[in-house]
Amino acid sequence: MKLSISKRLAAMFAVASFVMLAVLSVAMHGLLKRELERHQSNELQARWTMYKPIIMRNDDVVHWQYVRTKFDNSISENNRVSLWVQSNDPRFLYGASLTDEQRHTMGAHGFGQVMLPGHDAPLKTYSAEVEAHGERPAVLLTVGIDSKPFVETLRAFTVGLIALTVVGALGAAGLGYYIARVGMRPLDRLSGEARGLSPGHLSRRLQTDTLAPELSELADSFNGALSRLETAYQQLEAFNADVAHELRTPLGNLIGQTQVTLSRERSPTELKEALHSNLEDLERLRAIVNDMLFLARADRGERAPNRVEVSIAQEVSHAVEYLEFIFEEAGVKVRIEGDAQASIETSLFRRAVTNLLQNAVQHAPRGAEIVVFVLQQPGAIRVSVQNTGSGIAREHLSRLFDRFYRVDSSRSGSRENHGLGLAIVRAVATMHGGTVFAESESGATTIGFTVAA
Amino acid sequence: MKVLIVEDEPKTADYLERGLREQGYVVDVARDGLDGKHMALEYEYDVIVLDVMLPGTDGFSVLHALREHRQTPVIMLTARDRVDDRVRGLREGADDYLVKPFSFLELVARLQALTRRSRGQEAMQLRIADLQIDLLARKAWRNGQRLDLTAKEFALLAALARRKGEILSKTTIAELVWDVNFDSDTNVVEVAVKRLRSKLDDPFKPTLLHTVRGMGYVLEVRDEQSEDA
Ligand SMILES: Nc1ncnc2c1ncn2[C@@H]1O[C@H](COP(=O)(O)OP(=O)(O)O)[C@@H](O)[C@H]1O
Ligand SMILES: [Mg+2]
Repeated sequence: MKLSISKRLAAMFAVASFVMLAVLSVAMHGLLKRELERHQSNELQARWTMYKPIIMRNDDVVHWQYVRTKFDNSISENNRVSLWVQSNDPRFLYGASLTDEQRHTMGAHGFGQVMLPGHDAPLKTYSAEVEAHGERPAVLLTVGIDSKPFVETLRAFTVGLIALTVVGALGAAGLGYYIARVGMRPLDRLSGEARGLSPGHLSRRLQTDTLAPELSELADSFNGALSRLETAYQQLEAFNADVAHELRTPLGNLIGQTQVTLSRERSPTELKEALHSNLEDLERLRAIVNDMLFLARADRGERAPNRVEVSIAQEVSHAVEYLEFIFEEAGVKVRIEGDAQASIETSLFRRAVTNLLQNAVQHAPRGAEIVVFVLQQPGAIRVSVQNTGSGIAREHLSRLFDRFYRVDSSRSGSRENHGLGLAIVRAVATMHGGTVFAESESGATTIGFTVAA
Repeated sequence: MKVLIVEDEPKTADYLERGLREQGYVVDVARDGLDGKHMALEYEYDVIVLDVMLPGTDGFSVLHALREHRQTPVIMLTARDRVDDRVRGLREGADDYLVKPFSFLELVARLQALTRRSRGQEAMQLRIADLQIDLLARKAWRNGQRLDLTAKEFALLAALARRKGEILSKTTIAELVWDVNFDSDTNVVEVAVKRLRSKLDDPFKPTLLHTVRGMGYVLEVRDEQSEDA
């Protein structure tokens, strides 16, 4: 079961205030009890001191009768009080006879208590000796007072405290719930705003300036996620548009050419020519689709599956060897610098290097030298291809690895360049746990990638 | 050479059937997995072309059932470029695979590679018209005159000559000559062919190395009229 935060807070408030009130009540109860007991003791001692002279003044059997009368009166005047006089001389006694048990709880000296029949609370007692005088031996005078009023006061107070604790806790729960609801209001507003977000309003964000600091942090991170989503979404849309655009040219050619060819009688040679031309466009479509499928593999987070430990420089030289004729045609030289061992999938790696070299030779002037640097770095191996040439303007550098991105969009029609070369380099790097980079300074362009060591 | 094609997509099945028949194969077609399984087990084939996504039973279970009884070479056609599909196909006993969209030439090349294995030793000397090639010595002559070829140029010539009359796609050539098994945007093969041509065909008659636009290259003797290179 899930409780709402408000209810949970209310429950917590209730528990907290219950505990606090309970502790307070127990303390108050203890305090009151002590005070009442002190009060009782004081009263007992005061009364004892009050009765003692009566015994002191009457020291023979004749006057003892007077003591009895005095005590009887005193008791009947105040029925809370009981009196006992105990002594070894049976002539000097007073009070109801006591059982051994009662005598024991009363004690021989000081404070005690005694349970009398017909009372529901014990009597508090104070006993002390009155020294012998004349005919009278030393006697033990005990004053008892009924503790019932004290007990009742204490009980009423206890009931009051318990009621207060419970009511207080409930009150705190209710109040807590209300406070929590008020406190949660910004959150409700926030979730209302969040409900209003939709793909149709990608640039909409949660308002953070009026929010409490705790919430604005949350809303900020949420907004961050929204921004990233927006970028991804826009890239996806742009990408779909790009794909459609790239496919549109060859498709348009195909349809147009086929229609033209079929619009009148053609010789077998002409028909053949049209089919050949169609085939070229179709091959181009196939190449694009295959590349897209390859990129999708990397996008899905697939890692290079068939890795082997090899010399990177050697793999680079394989790629160089493959492009040998192209370099000769373009009149450029290639040099490889550095080496490192790494675990890579060779066909993927060669493909990436081939793409980089292919770009370099396309942009390098005749007679230039292309240098491939292989650099061992902590945790990664860096492969970069450097060529001289007109360079790339700064604003293009970050987008170079995007699909179908070309600095010079007029090149887009050419057969070899469908603008996926560097996107594939990035995919290969990603599949090897690496990244890509591009720099262009004072006429030297360096583009490359890393693979995890 | 007898081929079974197990493919449910009618257009694909039709062009494969026609194309392979024209290449000289005897072709049977099964249009779903159950038929395919039945035919593969019932009759003798030299090679089977098997689509992965099939109605009835999928390609993997056809392959599985087949491998319990026979070792007929199988080429799988996978529609998705999914590593799992390829790995699974090869693990379960497929001999090769092609990812759709594939080129027909590619398929023919793979089929020939699969069936050639059992054809035994090749000749070490090849002869096409006045062209003479010694594969062992890695030398070539035309009209008795030694051709001055670089290693790669010779490799290209040898690859084409071994399959004379067969159209080789650029992908196949890149694979045979440079051991490159990925698509690339380069025109290396075009440049290499141009260079080879300048040494092989420019000084001599008849022209042997022909371009088939959109498809690839072929080494053969043609009637001079039907040139389209
Ligand atoms: N070495 C380089 N020098 C200058 N520009 C380059 C270089 N490499 C890549 N570029 C630019 O980056 C763009 C993207 O490259 P790429 O993804 O390989 O696509 P493509 O080569 O098919 O156009 C190219 O169009 C080109 O403008
Ligand atoms: Mg490129």
